[in-house]
Amino acid sequence: MTSGEPLAGGDAEWGVERPASVVRPFLLTAGRIAGGDSLVPPIPIETQVVATDVGLAALNAFVFDQHRDIITVCREPQSLAEIAAKLRMHLNVIRVLADDLRADGQLALYAPQVHSNRDVTVLRRVIDGLRAIPDSRGAIREG
Amino acid sequence: MVSELSPTPGARSVRADDERPRPPLPVKMVIAGGFGVGKTTTVGAISEIEPLTTEASITSVAAGVDDLTHTPEKVTTTVAMDFGCVTLDPTLKLYLFGTPGQERFGFMWDDLVEGALGGLVIVDTRRLDDCYAAVDYFEHREIPFAVAVNAFDGKLEHDLDDVRWALDVADHVPLTVFDARDRGSVRDALLVVLEHALARAER
Repeated sequence: MTSGEPLAGGDAEWGVERPASVVRPFLLTAGRIAGGDSLVPPIPIETQVVATDVGLAALNAFVFDQHRDIITVCREPQSLAEIAAKLRMHLNVIRVLADDLRADGQLALYAPQVHSNRDVTVLRRVIDGLRAIPDSRGAIREG
Repeated sequence: MVSELSPTPGARSVRADDERPRPPLPVKMVIAGGFGVGKTTTVGAISEIEPLTTEASITSVAAGVDDLTHTPEKVTTTVAMDFGCVTLDPTLKLYLFGTPGQERFGFMWDDLVEGALGGLVIVDTRRLDDCYAAVDYFEHREIPFAVAVNAFDGKLEHDLDDVRWALDVADHVPLTVFDARDRGSVRDALLVVLEHALARAER
């Protein structure tokens, strides 16, 4: 089984050095994990997260660096996946922490639309948006 | 106060009095295929950011388990997942997630794939069987997908009909040739998927 090879994914070497954290992430989540065998559907990875005024006002009051880091990164809207990548934390840890901060009113979460692949309007908008992307030579694709 | 995820992102703020920047509607597509087939190259060719890597969990289902309880043995594995994004307009952002791992076995990417607009299965004609798991997965999950043969400089050593026959994909599944390094080529391959998804949604 390939499950014996964690972290073997990806096609290229995007290896990054992980800073040692003083606090083990799953200690911070008190052992809670998102996804996996949880009965609650996990928050979608593309969910947009942005710090609220309440969260920004609390920046210097967080006990844990991880909470402060999430709020700091989310000055600009980010997906959960981007937060996890930038803070080098497991996606499922970010899911739990972001949901905690949301419950405290310090983050606002904007979940993606459900069934967007059946939504003609959304699909057309994405198609139009992609078509407008020039190829490497700067030409516009013929529609 | 905040009690629920907003079901309509990009449309309304969770807090009405909040003047923080309003995020775009996030949509995603999934880039799948065997190890080393060019998934990250594909994401990087069109992403506006250098592809990022994050750790995610996937569930692998033990193959060949015939369990009377109908609960196949599942193992959750942490894998590295590469992704990128394209801001299509200020209100719409497309994320591209490369499926992690070496998909020779029954990985479940439900956690990553849920809600995806569609999937692009990248194929290397030298290792066709590497993509079977991805094709099967999208078929079973009824997620619109296309198969894209990664051919350097668009040169294909096999006839596309032969590739279709070898892969045994249904006739309605679009099959295309592209160059994972080329932005316009990646864009067009994604459009094949989306037009397929649109045709299905319009039915």
